[in-house]
Amino acid sequence: MAVDMKTIEHLCGLSKLSYDEKGMEKVMGEMSDIIDLMDEIKGFDLTYDDTKDNNEIRFCDTREDIPEKSFDTQKLLQNAENTDNCYVVPKVVE
Amino acid sequence: MNFTKAKIRDLRKMLDSGEISAKELCGEYFKNIDEKDESLLSYITVTKDEALKSAEKAQKMIDEKQAKALTGIPLAIKDNICTDGIKTTCASKMLGDFVPPYNASVIEKLNEQGYVLLGKTSMDEFAMGGSTQTSAFKKTKNPYDLERVPGGSSGGSAAAVSASLAPAALGSDTGGSIRQPSSFCGVTGIKPTYGRVSRYGLVAFASSLDQIGPIANDAHDCAILLNAVCGYDRHDATSARIDVPDFTEKLGQPIKGMKIALPKEFYSDAIDGCVKDAVLSAAKELEKQGAVLEECSMPGLKYAIPAYYLIACAEAASNLSRFDGIKYGFRGEGRTFNDLIIDSRNKGFGEEVKRRILLGNYALSSGYYDAYYKKALALKQEIIKEYNEIFEKCDVILTPTAPTPAYKIGAQDNDPVKMYTADICTVTVNIAGLPGISTTCGYEKDSGLPIGMSIIGKRFDEQTILQTADAWEQGFTPVAPEF
Repeated sequence: MAVDMKTIEHLCGLSKLSYDEKGMEKVMGEMSDIIDLMDEIKGFDLTYDDTKDNNEIRFCDTREDIPEKSFDTQKLLQNAENTDNCYVVPKVVE
Repeated sequence: MNFTKAKIRDLRKMLDSGEISAKELCGEYFKNIDEKDESLLSYITVTKDEALKSAEKAQKMIDEKQAKALTGIPLAIKDNICTDGIKTTCASKMLGDFVPPYNASVIEKLNEQGYVLLGKTSMDEFAMGGSTQTSAFKKTKNPYDLERVPGGSSGGSAAAVSASLAPAALGSDTGGSIRQPSSFCGVTGIKPTYGRVSRYGLVAFASSLDQIGPIANDAHDCAILLNAVCGYDRHDATSARIDVPDFTEKLGQPIKGMKIALPKEFYSDAIDGCVKDAVLSAAKELEKQGAVLEECSMPGLKYAIPAYYLIACAEAASNLSRFDGIKYGFRGEGRTFNDLIIDSRNKGFGEEVKRRILLGNYALSSGYYDAYYKKALALKQEIIKEYNEIFEKCDVILTPTAPTPAYKIGAQDNDPVKMYTADICTVTVNIAGLPGISTTCGYEKDSGLPIGMSIIGKRFDEQTILQTADAWEQGFTPVAPEF
Protein backbone atom coordinates (compact mmCIF):
# COMPACT_ATOMS: atom_id res chain seq x y z
CA MET A 1 0.00 0.00 0.00
CA ALA A 2 1.37 3.40 -1.03
CA VAL A 3 -0.33 5.04 1.98
CA ASP A 4 -1.02 3.77 5.48
CA MET A 5 -3.90 4.40 7.86
CA LYS A 6 -1.94 7.06 9.76
CA THR A 7 -1.44 9.09 6.56
CA ILE A 8 -5.13 8.80 5.67
CA GLU A 9 -6.10 10.00 9.15
CA HIS A 10 -3.71 12.94 8.76
CA LEU A 11 -5.19 13.81 5.34
CA CYS A 12 -8.73 13.58 6.72
CA GLY A 13 -7.75 16.08 9.40
CA LEU A 14 -6.33 18.49 6.79
CA SER A 15 -9.38 17.99 4.58
CA LYS A 16 -12.02 18.29 7.34
CA LEU A 17 -13.45 14.91 6.39
CA SER A 18 -13.98 11.69 8.33
CA TYR A 19 -14.83 8.06 7.58
CA ASP A 20 -16.01 5.15 9.67
CA GLU A 21 -13.72 2.11 10.01
CA LYS A 22 -15.00 0.39 6.86
CA GLY A 23 -14.84 3.65 4.91
CA MET A 24 -11.24 4.21 6.03
CA GLU A 25 -10.21 0.78 4.70
CA LYS A 26 -11.92 1.49 1.37
CA VAL A 27 -10.46 4.97 0.93
CA MET A 28 -6.99 3.72 1.91
CA GLY A 29 -7.14 1.18 -0.93
CA GLU A 30 -8.37 3.76 -3.43
CA MET A 31 -5.81 6.37 -2.40
CA SER A 32 -3.02 3.81 -2.62
CA ASP A 33 -3.96 3.05 -6.24
CA ILE A 34 -4.19 6.76 -7.05
CA ILE A 35 -0.83 7.53 -5.42
CA ASP A 36 0.78 4.65 -7.32
CA LEU A 37 -0.38 6.43 -10.48
CA MET A 38 0.94 9.78 -9.20
CA ASP A 39 4.29 8.12 -8.40
CA GLU A 40 4.94 7.79 -12.14
CA ILE A 41 5.93 11.46 -12.00
CA LYS A 42 9.02 10.45 -10.03
CA GLY A 43 10.43 9.02 -13.27
CA PHE A 44 10.63 12.55 -14.65
CA ASP A 45 13.94 14.18 -13.84
CA LEU A 46 13.68 17.94 -13.95
CA THR A 47 13.92 20.69 -11.39
CA TYR A 48 11.19 23.24 -10.97
CA ASP A 49 12.22 26.79 -11.80
CA ASP A 50 9.87 29.13 -9.99
CA THR A 51 11.15 32.13 -11.93
CA LYS A 52 9.63 30.62 -15.07
CA ASP A 53 6.28 29.61 -13.60
CA ASN A 54 3.20 31.04 -15.28
CA ASN A 55 5.41 33.33 -17.35
CA GLU A 56 3.06 32.90 -20.27
CA ILE A 57 -0.05 33.87 -18.34
CA ARG A 58 -0.71 37.57 -18.26
CA PHE A 59 -1.88 38.62 -14.85
CA CYS A 60 -3.57 41.97 -14.99
CA ASP A 61 -2.90 44.88 -12.70
CA THR A 62 -4.65 44.70 -9.41
CA ARG A 63 -7.36 47.31 -9.15
CA GLU A 64 -7.12 50.41 -7.01
CA ASP A 65 -8.20 50.00 -3.40
CA ILE A 66 -11.23 52.25 -3.68
CA PRO A 67 -14.35 51.47 -1.65
CA GLU A 68 -17.35 50.73 -3.80
CA LYS A 69 -20.86 49.44 -3.30
CA SER A 70 -20.92 45.71 -2.80
CA PHE A 71 -23.67 43.15 -2.38
CA ASP A 72 -26.67 43.70 -0.19
CA THR A 73 -26.19 41.92 3.17
CA GLN A 74 -29.61 40.28 3.08
CA LYS A 75 -28.91 38.92 -0.38
CA LEU A 76 -25.60 37.47 0.76
CA LEU A 77 -27.25 35.87 3.77
CA GLN A 78 -30.03 34.26 1.73
CA ASN A 79 -28.03 31.05 1.36
CA ALA A 80 -27.01 30.69 5.01
CA GLU A 81 -28.93 27.96 6.79
CA ASN A 82 -29.23 29.76 10.07
CA THR A 83 -29.27 33.54 10.11
CA ASP A 84 -30.09 36.34 12.47
CA ASN A 85 -28.75 39.03 10.17
CA CYS A 86 -25.40 37.30 10.62
CA TYR A 87 -23.88 33.84 10.27
CA VAL A 88 -24.78 31.63 13.23
CA VAL A 89 -22.34 28.94 14.35
CA PRO A 90 -22.16 26.58 17.36
CA LYS A 91 -20.80 28.13 20.54
CA VAL A 92 -17.03 28.38 20.30
CA VAL A 93 -16.48 29.54 23.90
CA GLU A 94 -18.51 27.79 26.63
CA MET B 1 -40.29 23.08 -39.90
CA ASN B 2 -38.31 21.67 -36.97
CA PHE B 3 -36.74 24.80 -35.54
CA THR B 4 -34.82 22.89 -32.88
CA LYS B 5 -32.58 21.28 -35.52
CA ALA B 6 -31.45 24.67 -36.85
CA LYS B 7 -28.07 26.30 -36.28
CA ILE B 8 -27.77 29.56 -34.31
CA ARG B 9 -27.10 31.58 -37.48
CA ASP B 10 -30.24 30.16 -39.12
CA LEU B 11 -32.31 30.87 -36.01
CA ARG B 12 -31.02 34.46 -36.15
CA LYS B 13 -32.43 34.84 -39.67
CA MET B 14 -35.75 33.23 -38.69
CA LEU B 15 -36.13 35.51 -35.67
CA ASP B 16 -35.21 38.64 -37.62
CA SER B 17 -37.53 37.81 -40.50
CA GLY B 18 -40.43 37.10 -38.16
CA GLU B 19 -40.71 33.47 -39.25
CA ILE B 20 -40.80 32.62 -35.55
CA SER B 21 -40.96 34.77 -32.42
CA ALA B 22 -38.50 34.50 -29.52
CA LYS B 23 -41.31 33.18 -27.30
CA GLU B 24 -42.35 30.55 -29.84
CA LEU B 25 -38.75 29.47 -30.32
CA CYS B 26 -38.03 28.84 -26.64
CA GLY B 27 -41.45 27.10 -26.47
CA GLU B 28 -40.23 24.65 -29.14
CA TYR B 29 -37.20 23.78 -27.03
CA PHE B 30 -39.27 23.42 -23.85
CA LYS B 31 -41.57 21.03 -25.73
CA ASN B 32 -38.51 18.91 -26.59
CA ILE B 33 -37.24 19.10 -23.02
CA ASP B 34 -40.65 18.03 -21.64
CA GLU B 35 -40.81 15.11 -24.05
CA LYS B 36 -37.24 13.86 -23.90
CA ASP B 37 -35.36 14.99 -20.82
CA GLU B 38 -37.10 12.56 -18.51
CA SER B 39 -34.96 9.83 -20.08
CA LEU B 40 -31.89 11.92 -21.05
CA LEU B 41 -31.54 13.76 -17.70
CA SER B 42 -29.51 16.63 -19.14
CA TYR B 43 -31.05 19.53 -17.17
CA ILE B 44 -30.93 19.96 -13.41
CA THR B 45 -33.10 23.10 -13.50
CA VAL B 46 -35.42 24.18 -16.32
CA THR B 47 -36.21 27.92 -16.26
CA LYS B 48 -39.49 28.29 -18.14
CA ASP B 49 -40.81 31.36 -16.33
CA GLU B 50 -37.54 33.29 -16.61
CA ALA B 51 -37.22 32.26 -20.26
CA LEU B 52 -40.61 33.63 -21.20
CA LYS B 53 -39.76 36.98 -19.60
CA SER B 54 -36.37 37.09 -21.38
CA ALA B 55 -38.03 36.12 -24.66
CA GLU B 56 -40.43 39.06 -24.37
CA LYS B 57 -37.50 41.46 -23.82
CA ALA B 58 -35.62 39.88 -26.72
CA GLN B 59 -38.64 40.19 -29.00
CA LYS B 60 -38.79 43.90 -28.23
CA MET B 61 -35.12 44.24 -29.28
CA ILE B 62 -35.86 42.30 -32.49
CA ASP B 63 -38.97 44.36 -33.28
CA GLU B 64 -36.98 47.57 -32.76
CA LYS B 65 -34.25 46.25 -35.10
CA GLN B 66 -31.79 46.29 -32.20
CA ALA B 67 -31.08 42.54 -32.31
CA LYS B 68 -27.56 41.29 -31.62
CA ALA B 69 -26.11 37.89 -32.60
CA LEU B 70 -27.75 36.05 -29.70
CA THR B 71 -30.91 38.11 -29.15
CA GLY B 72 -33.77 35.67 -28.60
CA ILE B 73 -31.48 32.64 -28.96
CA PRO B 74 -32.18 30.03 -26.27
CA LEU B 75 -29.12 28.59 -24.53
CA ALA B 76 -28.34 26.06 -21.81
CA ILE B 77 -25.79 26.86 -19.12
CA LYS B 78 -23.68 24.42 -17.13
CA ASP B 79 -24.74 24.36 -13.51
CA ASN B 80 -21.42 25.63 -12.15
CA ILE B 81 -21.84 29.08 -13.75
CA CYS B 82 -23.55 31.49 -11.35
CA THR B 83 -26.96 32.84 -12.37
CA ASP B 84 -28.48 35.53 -10.17
CA GLY B 85 -31.66 34.24 -8.51
CA ILE B 86 -31.47 30.83 -10.24
CA LYS B 87 -30.18 27.73 -8.47
CA THR B 88 -26.54 26.85 -9.24
CA THR B 89 -25.83 23.47 -7.71
CA CYS B 90 -22.55 22.23 -9.27
CA ALA B 91 -24.48 18.92 -9.24
CA SER B 92 -23.56 18.61 -5.57
CA LYS B 93 -25.68 18.08 -2.50
CA MET B 94 -23.37 20.68 -0.96
CA LEU B 95 -24.93 23.40 -3.18
CA GLY B 96 -28.31 21.72 -3.71
CA ASP B 97 -30.26 24.83 -2.66
CA PHE B 98 -27.67 27.49 -3.48
CA VAL B 99 -29.08 30.56 -5.24
CA PRO B 100 -26.25 32.92 -6.30
CA PRO B 101 -26.63 36.60 -5.41
CA TYR B 102 -24.89 37.64 -8.63
CA ASN B 103 -24.34 36.68 -12.26
CA ALA B 104 -21.11 35.29 -13.67
CA SER B 105 -19.49 37.75 -16.10
CA VAL B 106 -20.34 35.47 -19.04
CA ILE B 107 -24.02 35.60 -18.01
CA GLU B 108 -23.89 39.41 -17.87
CA LYS B 109 -22.46 39.39 -21.39
CA LEU B 110 -25.18 37.04 -22.62
CA ASN B 111 -27.84 39.20 -20.95
CA GLU B 112 -26.51 42.22 -22.86
CA GLN B 113 -27.09 40.20 -26.02
CA GLY B 114 -30.67 39.40 -24.97
CA TYR B 115 -30.25 35.58 -24.83
CA VAL B 116 -32.89 33.29 -23.38
CA LEU B 117 -31.88 30.86 -20.61
CA LEU B 118 -33.47 27.43 -21.06
CA GLY B 119 -31.98 25.97 -17.89
CA LYS B 120 -28.95 24.74 -16.01
CA THR B 121 -27.38 21.54 -17.22
CA SER B 122 -26.05 18.58 -15.28
CA MET B 123 -22.37 17.83 -14.82
CA ASP B 124 -20.01 15.78 -12.72
CA GLU B 125 -20.07 17.03 -9.14
CA PHE B 126 -17.93 20.19 -9.00
CA ALA B 127 -16.78 19.30 -12.56
CA MET B 128 -14.77 16.37 -11.21
CA GLY B 129 -15.23 13.49 -13.61
CA GLY B 130 -15.56 12.52 -17.23
CA SER B 131 -18.94 10.80 -17.29
CA THR B 132 -21.56 13.04 -15.57
CA GLN B 133 -22.23 10.00 -13.38
CA THR B 134 -20.87 11.71 -10.25
CA SER B 135 -23.76 14.22 -10.43
CA ALA B 136 -25.79 14.16 -7.23
CA PHE B 137 -28.97 14.98 -9.15
CA LYS B 138 -29.08 13.99 -12.83
CA LYS B 139 -26.82 11.27 -14.18
CA THR B 140 -27.09 12.29 -17.83
CA LYS B 141 -27.14 9.67 -20.58
CA ASN B 142 -25.74 9.69 -24.09
CA PRO B 143 -28.36 10.49 -26.77
CA TYR B 144 -26.69 8.03 -29.18
CA ASP B 145 -27.15 5.17 -26.68
CA LEU B 146 -28.95 5.66 -23.38
CA GLU B 147 -26.87 2.90 -21.80
CA ARG B 148 -23.70 4.92 -22.31
CA VAL B 149 -22.22 7.99 -20.64
CA PRO B 150 -22.35 11.41 -22.34
CA GLY B 151 -18.83 12.20 -21.14
CA GLY B 152 -18.07 14.94 -18.69
CA SER B 153 -17.90 16.98 -16.82
CA SER B 154 -20.07 19.15 -19.12
CA GLY B 155 -22.11 16.06 -20.11
CA GLY B 156 -25.48 17.75 -19.59
CA SER B 157 -24.57 20.63 -21.92
CA ALA B 158 -23.20 18.31 -24.64
CA ALA B 159 -26.13 15.86 -24.43
CA ALA B 160 -28.69 18.69 -24.51
CA VAL B 161 -27.16 20.16 -27.69
CA SER B 162 -26.80 16.73 -29.31
CA ALA B 163 -30.45 15.83 -28.58
CA SER B 164 -31.75 19.25 -29.78
CA LEU B 165 -32.79 20.30 -26.28
CA ALA B 166 -30.74 23.50 -26.81
CA PRO B 167 -29.12 24.99 -29.93
CA ALA B 168 -25.92 25.62 -27.97
CA ALA B 169 -24.65 25.70 -24.41
CA LEU B 170 -21.86 26.91 -22.18
CA GLY B 171 -19.62 24.38 -20.46
CA SER B 172 -16.39 24.61 -18.52
CA ASP B 173 -13.14 22.78 -19.18
CA THR B 174 -10.47 22.03 -16.57
CA GLY B 175 -8.94 18.91 -18.13
CA GLY B 176 -11.15 18.20 -21.15
CA SER B 177 -14.62 18.80 -19.73
CA ILE B 178 -15.92 20.60 -22.83
CA ARG B 179 -14.04 18.64 -25.49
CA GLN B 180 -14.52 15.05 -24.26
CA PRO B 181 -18.34 15.23 -23.82
CA SER B 182 -18.56 17.03 -27.17
CA SER B 183 -16.69 14.08 -28.67
CA PHE B 184 -18.93 11.48 -26.95
CA CYS B 185 -22.15 13.27 -27.96
CA GLY B 186 -21.19 14.14 -31.56
CA VAL B 187 -21.14 17.93 -31.19
CA THR B 188 -18.45 20.63 -31.36
CA GLY B 189 -16.93 22.24 -28.26
CA ILE B 190 -14.11 24.72 -27.78
CA LYS B 191 -11.93 25.34 -24.75
CA PRO B 192 -10.59 28.88 -25.23
CA THR B 193 -7.10 30.05 -24.25
CA TYR B 194 -6.69 30.54 -20.49
CA GLY B 195 -7.59 34.18 -19.84
CA ARG B 196 -9.75 34.61 -22.94
CA VAL B 197 -13.06 34.23 -21.07
CA SER B 198 -13.65 35.59 -17.58
CA ARG B 199 -13.89 32.98 -14.82
CA TYR B 200 -15.71 35.38 -12.49
CA GLY B 201 -18.80 33.52 -11.29
CA LEU B 202 -17.57 30.11 -12.40
CA VAL B 203 -17.48 27.96 -9.26
CA ALA B 204 -13.77 27.16 -9.05
CA PHE B 205 -12.38 23.65 -9.40
CA ALA B 206 -8.73 24.35 -10.35
CA SER B 207 -8.22 28.07 -10.87
CA SER B 208 -5.09 27.84 -13.07
CA LEU B 209 -6.78 25.39 -15.45
CA ASP B 210 -10.54 26.26 -15.54
CA GLN B 211 -11.98 27.99 -18.59
CA ILE B 212 -15.56 28.53 -19.79
CA GLY B 213 -16.39 27.78 -23.44
CA PRO B 214 -19.17 27.01 -25.92
CA ILE B 215 -20.65 23.70 -27.06
CA ALA B 216 -22.69 23.85 -30.27
CA ASN B 217 -23.63 21.94 -33.40
CA ASP B 218 -20.61 23.12 -35.35
CA ALA B 219 -17.52 25.33 -35.27
CA HIS B 220 -19.38 28.29 -36.80
CA ASP B 221 -21.95 28.34 -33.98
CA CYS B 222 -19.13 27.96 -31.43
CA ALA B 223 -17.48 31.04 -32.96
CA ILE B 224 -20.70 33.06 -32.67
CA LEU B 225 -21.11 32.13 -29.01
CA LEU B 226 -17.41 32.71 -28.28
CA ASN B 227 -17.68 36.22 -29.78
CA ALA B 228 -20.35 37.00 -27.19
CA VAL B 229 -18.60 35.77 -24.04
CA CYS B 230 -14.94 36.78 -24.56
CA GLY B 231 -13.12 39.82 -23.33
CA TYR B 232 -11.27 41.42 -20.45
CA ASP B 233 -13.04 41.49 -17.09
CA ARG B 234 -11.84 43.53 -14.13
CA HIS B 235 -13.34 40.93 -11.77
CA ASP B 236 -10.89 38.23 -12.92
CA ALA B 237 -7.18 38.95 -12.37
CA THR B 238 -6.24 36.29 -14.93
CA SER B 239 -8.52 37.74 -17.59
CA ALA B 240 -6.35 38.79 -20.53
CA ARG B 241 -6.12 42.41 -21.65
CA ILE B 242 -5.95 41.46 -25.29
CA ASP B 243 -7.99 42.43 -28.33
CA VAL B 244 -10.83 40.05 -29.15
CA PRO B 245 -11.03 39.34 -32.87
CA ASP B 246 -14.18 38.30 -34.72
CA PHE B 247 -13.96 34.52 -34.38
CA THR B 248 -16.09 34.00 -37.49
CA GLU B 249 -13.65 35.98 -39.64
CA LYS B 250 -11.45 33.10 -40.84
CA LEU B 251 -14.29 30.60 -41.28
CA GLY B 252 -14.52 29.42 -44.86
CA GLN B 253 -10.98 30.48 -45.69
CA PRO B 254 -8.91 27.71 -47.36
CA ILE B 255 -6.41 25.80 -45.23
CA LYS B 256 -3.94 25.38 -48.10
CA GLY B 257 -0.39 25.40 -46.74
CA MET B 258 -1.50 25.10 -43.11
CA LYS B 259 0.94 22.92 -41.16
CA ILE B 260 -0.79 20.33 -38.98
CA ALA B 261 1.32 18.52 -36.38
CA LEU B 262 0.58 14.91 -35.38
CA PRO B 263 2.47 14.11 -32.13
CA LYS B 264 3.14 10.37 -32.23
CA GLU B 265 2.54 9.85 -28.49
CA PHE B 266 -1.16 10.75 -29.02
CA TYR B 267 -1.50 7.81 -31.41
CA SER B 268 -0.10 5.08 -29.11
CA ASP B 269 -1.58 1.67 -28.30
CA ALA B 270 -3.53 3.29 -25.44
CA ILE B 271 -5.87 4.74 -28.09
CA ASP B 272 -8.59 2.52 -29.59
CA GLY B 273 -7.95 1.48 -33.18
CA CYS B 274 -11.27 2.91 -34.38
CA VAL B 275 -10.39 6.31 -32.87
CA LYS B 276 -6.90 6.37 -34.41
CA ASP B 277 -8.26 5.36 -37.82
CA ALA B 278 -10.97 8.04 -37.76
CA VAL B 279 -8.59 10.85 -36.71
CA LEU B 280 -5.84 9.87 -39.16
CA SER B 281 -8.40 9.53 -41.94
CA ALA B 282 -9.60 13.08 -41.15
CA ALA B 283 -5.97 14.24 -41.25
CA LYS B 284 -5.68 12.80 -44.78
CA GLU B 285 -8.83 14.68 -45.82
CA LEU B 286 -7.35 17.92 -44.49
CA GLU B 287 -4.19 17.11 -46.45
CA LYS B 288 -6.34 16.81 -49.59
CA GLN B 289 -7.56 20.34 -48.87
CA GLY B 290 -3.95 21.52 -49.01
CA ALA B 291 -2.80 21.20 -45.41
CA VAL B 292 0.68 19.81 -44.74
CA LEU B 293 0.92 17.00 -42.17
CA GLU B 294 4.02 16.91 -39.95
CA GLU B 295 4.82 14.08 -37.55
CA CYS B 296 6.32 15.29 -34.27
CA SER B 297 6.90 14.20 -30.68
CA MET B 298 5.74 15.22 -27.22
CA PRO B 299 7.67 13.10 -24.68
CA GLY B 300 6.14 14.91 -21.70
CA LEU B 301 2.75 13.33 -22.43
CA LYS B 302 3.95 10.23 -20.58
CA TYR B 303 3.74 12.12 -17.29
CA ALA B 304 0.77 14.34 -18.12
CA ILE B 305 -1.85 12.46 -16.06
CA PRO B 306 -0.03 12.65 -12.70
CA ALA B 307 1.07 16.24 -13.41
CA TYR B 308 -2.50 17.28 -14.18
CA TYR B 309 -4.12 15.48 -11.24
CA LEU B 310 -1.55 16.77 -8.75
CA ILE B 311 -2.00 20.40 -9.85
CA ALA B 312 -5.79 20.19 -10.28
CA CYS B 313 -6.42 18.40 -6.98
CA ALA B 314 -4.06 20.67 -5.03
CA GLU B 315 -6.02 23.67 -6.28
CA ALA B 316 -9.34 21.89 -5.69
CA ALA B 317 -8.42 21.07 -2.08
CA SER B 318 -7.82 24.77 -1.53
CA ASN B 319 -10.86 26.02 -3.49
CA LEU B 320 -13.28 23.60 -1.87
CA SER B 321 -12.15 24.47 1.66
CA ARG B 322 -14.69 27.32 1.50
CA PHE B 323 -17.54 24.81 1.74
CA ASP B 324 -17.99 24.63 5.49
CA GLY B 325 -21.78 24.71 5.81
CA ILE B 326 -21.75 28.10 7.50
CA LYS B 327 -21.94 30.91 4.96
CA TYR B 328 -23.81 28.91 2.33
CA GLY B 329 -24.24 25.35 1.21
CA PHE B 330 -25.33 22.18 2.95
CA ARG B 331 -25.23 22.38 6.74
CA GLY B 332 -24.65 19.25 8.79
CA GLU B 333 -24.85 18.82 12.53
CA GLY B 334 -22.29 19.14 15.30
CA ARG B 335 -21.97 20.46 18.80
CA THR B 336 -18.62 22.07 18.09
CA PHE B 337 -17.47 24.33 15.28
CA ASN B 338 -15.11 21.65 13.94
CA ASP B 339 -17.72 18.86 14.13
CA LEU B 340 -20.21 21.01 12.25
CA ILE B 341 -17.74 21.62 9.41
CA ILE B 342 -16.70 17.95 9.18
CA ASP B 343 -20.31 16.72 9.20
CA SER B 344 -21.30 19.29 6.55
CA ARG B 345 -18.47 18.19 4.27
CA ASN B 346 -18.96 14.47 4.93
CA LYS B 347 -22.63 14.65 3.93
CA GLY B 348 -22.38 17.43 1.33
CA PHE B 349 -19.59 16.07 -0.89
CA GLY B 350 -19.71 12.91 -3.00
CA GLU B 351 -17.01 10.23 -2.97
CA GLU B 352 -15.04 11.45 -6.02
CA VAL B 353 -14.86 15.00 -4.70
CA LYS B 354 -13.59 13.69 -1.35
CA ARG B 355 -10.92 11.58 -3.06
CA ARG B 356 -9.65 14.61 -4.96
CA ILE B 357 -9.55 16.77 -1.83
CA LEU B 358 -7.53 14.06 -0.07
CA LEU B 359 -5.14 13.76 -3.02
CA GLY B 360 -4.72 17.54 -3.20
CA ASN B 361 -3.90 17.79 0.49
CA TYR B 362 -1.50 14.86 0.14
CA ALA B 363 0.38 16.65 -2.66
CA LEU B 364 0.56 19.88 -0.66
CA SER B 365 1.39 18.41 2.72
CA SER B 366 4.72 18.56 4.46
CA GLY B 367 7.13 15.91 3.21
CA TYR B 368 5.34 15.38 -0.10
CA TYR B 369 5.19 18.92 -1.55
CA ASP B 370 8.57 18.78 -3.33
CA ALA B 371 8.17 15.21 -4.56
CA TYR B 372 4.71 15.71 -6.02
CA TYR B 373 3.42 19.27 -6.35
CA LYS B 374 6.70 20.94 -7.30
CA LYS B 375 7.50 18.09 -9.70
CA ALA B 376 4.09 18.60 -11.31
CA LEU B 377 4.86 22.31 -11.75
CA ALA B 378 8.20 21.38 -13.36
CA LEU B 379 6.32 19.14 -15.76
CA LYS B 380 3.94 21.95 -16.56
CA GLN B 381 6.95 24.04 -17.65
CA GLU B 382 8.24 21.14 -19.73
CA ILE B 383 4.87 20.60 -21.44
CA ILE B 384 4.62 24.32 -22.27
CA LYS B 385 8.15 24.13 -23.72
CA GLU B 386 7.30 21.09 -25.83
CA TYR B 387 4.15 22.77 -27.20
CA ASN B 388 6.15 25.92 -28.01
CA GLU B 389 8.69 23.85 -29.94
CA ILE B 390 5.95 22.21 -32.01
CA PHE B 391 4.31 25.56 -32.71
CA GLU B 392 7.60 26.97 -34.02
CA LYS B 393 7.12 24.65 -37.01
CA CYS B 394 3.36 24.09 -37.18
CA ASP B 395 0.12 26.07 -37.07
CA VAL B 396 -2.14 23.58 -35.27
CA ILE B 397 -1.89 20.14 -33.66
CA LEU B 398 -4.32 17.30 -34.38
CA THR B 399 -5.02 14.59 -31.77
CA PRO B 400 -7.84 12.27 -30.73
CA THR B 401 -10.15 13.84 -28.11
CA ALA B 402 -10.58 10.65 -26.08
CA PRO B 403 -9.00 7.18 -26.22
CA THR B 404 -12.39 5.52 -26.85
CA PRO B 405 -15.92 6.42 -27.93
CA ALA B 406 -18.54 6.71 -25.14
CA TYR B 407 -18.36 3.75 -22.76
CA LYS B 408 -21.15 1.94 -20.89
CA ILE B 409 -22.55 3.51 -17.74
CA GLY B 410 -20.87 1.81 -14.78
CA ALA B 411 -17.81 0.64 -16.73
CA GLN B 412 -15.46 2.91 -14.76
CA ASP B 413 -17.33 2.93 -11.44
CA ASN B 414 -15.13 2.30 -8.43
CA ASP B 415 -11.98 2.59 -10.54
CA PRO B 416 -10.62 6.12 -10.19
CA VAL B 417 -7.30 5.22 -11.83
CA LYS B 418 -9.06 4.06 -15.01
CA MET B 419 -11.17 7.22 -14.95
CA TYR B 420 -8.12 9.48 -14.58
CA THR B 421 -6.02 7.84 -17.30
CA ALA B 422 -8.88 8.29 -19.81
CA ASP B 423 -8.12 12.05 -19.75
CA ILE B 424 -4.73 11.57 -21.45
CA CYS B 425 -5.68 13.27 -24.74
CA THR B 426 -7.03 16.50 -23.25
CA VAL B 427 -5.21 17.52 -20.05
CA THR B 428 -2.02 18.95 -21.58
CA VAL B 429 -4.04 21.67 -23.33
CA ASN B 430 -5.22 22.95 -19.93
CA ILE B 431 -1.76 22.56 -18.38
CA ALA B 432 -0.32 24.76 -21.16
CA GLY B 433 -3.32 27.16 -21.21
CA LEU B 434 -3.87 26.63 -24.94
CA PRO B 435 -7.11 26.70 -26.98
CA GLY B 436 -8.51 23.38 -28.24
CA ILE B 437 -11.60 22.42 -30.18
CA SER B 438 -13.21 18.99 -30.56
CA THR B 439 -15.32 18.13 -33.57
CA THR B 440 -16.76 14.85 -34.80
CA CYS B 441 -14.51 13.06 -37.30
CA GLY B 442 -16.38 9.77 -37.71
CA TYR B 443 -18.57 7.10 -36.14
CA GLU B 444 -17.69 3.70 -34.70
CA LYS B 445 -18.65 1.15 -37.35
CA ASP B 446 -20.85 -1.21 -35.32
CA SER B 447 -22.26 1.02 -32.58
CA GLY B 448 -22.58 4.25 -34.58
CA LEU B 449 -21.07 6.14 -31.65
CA PRO B 450 -19.39 9.46 -32.51
CA ILE B 451 -15.60 9.83 -32.48
CA GLY B 452 -14.03 13.22 -31.84
CA MET B 453 -10.76 14.81 -32.90
CA SER B 454 -9.11 17.78 -31.23
CA ILE B 455 -7.42 20.67 -32.95
CA ILE B 456 -5.05 22.54 -30.64
CA GLY B 457 -3.85 26.05 -31.39
CA LYS B 458 -1.31 28.63 -30.35
CA ARG B 459 -2.13 30.80 -27.37
CA PHE B 460 -4.98 33.20 -28.25
CA ASP B 461 -5.24 31.79 -31.78
CA GLU B 462 -8.77 30.43 -31.54
CA GLN B 463 -9.42 31.77 -35.05
CA THR B 464 -7.13 29.20 -36.68
CA ILE B 465 -8.51 26.17 -34.84
CA LEU B 466 -12.06 27.31 -35.63
CA GLN B 467 -11.04 27.75 -39.28
CA THR B 468 -9.55 24.22 -39.36
CA ALA B 469 -12.54 22.60 -37.65
CA ASP B 470 -14.89 24.46 -40.00
CA ALA B 471 -12.87 23.35 -43.05
CA TRP B 472 -13.26 19.74 -41.92
CA GLU B 473 -16.96 20.10 -41.09
CA GLN B 474 -17.75 21.55 -44.54
CA GLY B 475 -16.93 18.18 -46.09
CA PHE B 476 -18.36 15.99 -43.33
CA THR B 477 -21.94 14.77 -42.98
CA PRO B 478 -22.85 14.44 -39.31
CA VAL B 479 -25.31 11.75 -38.21
CA ALA B 480 -27.72 13.01 -35.55
CA PRO B 481 -28.77 10.65 -32.76
CA GLU B 482 -32.12 8.90 -33.30
CA PHE B 483 -33.10 9.76 -29.75
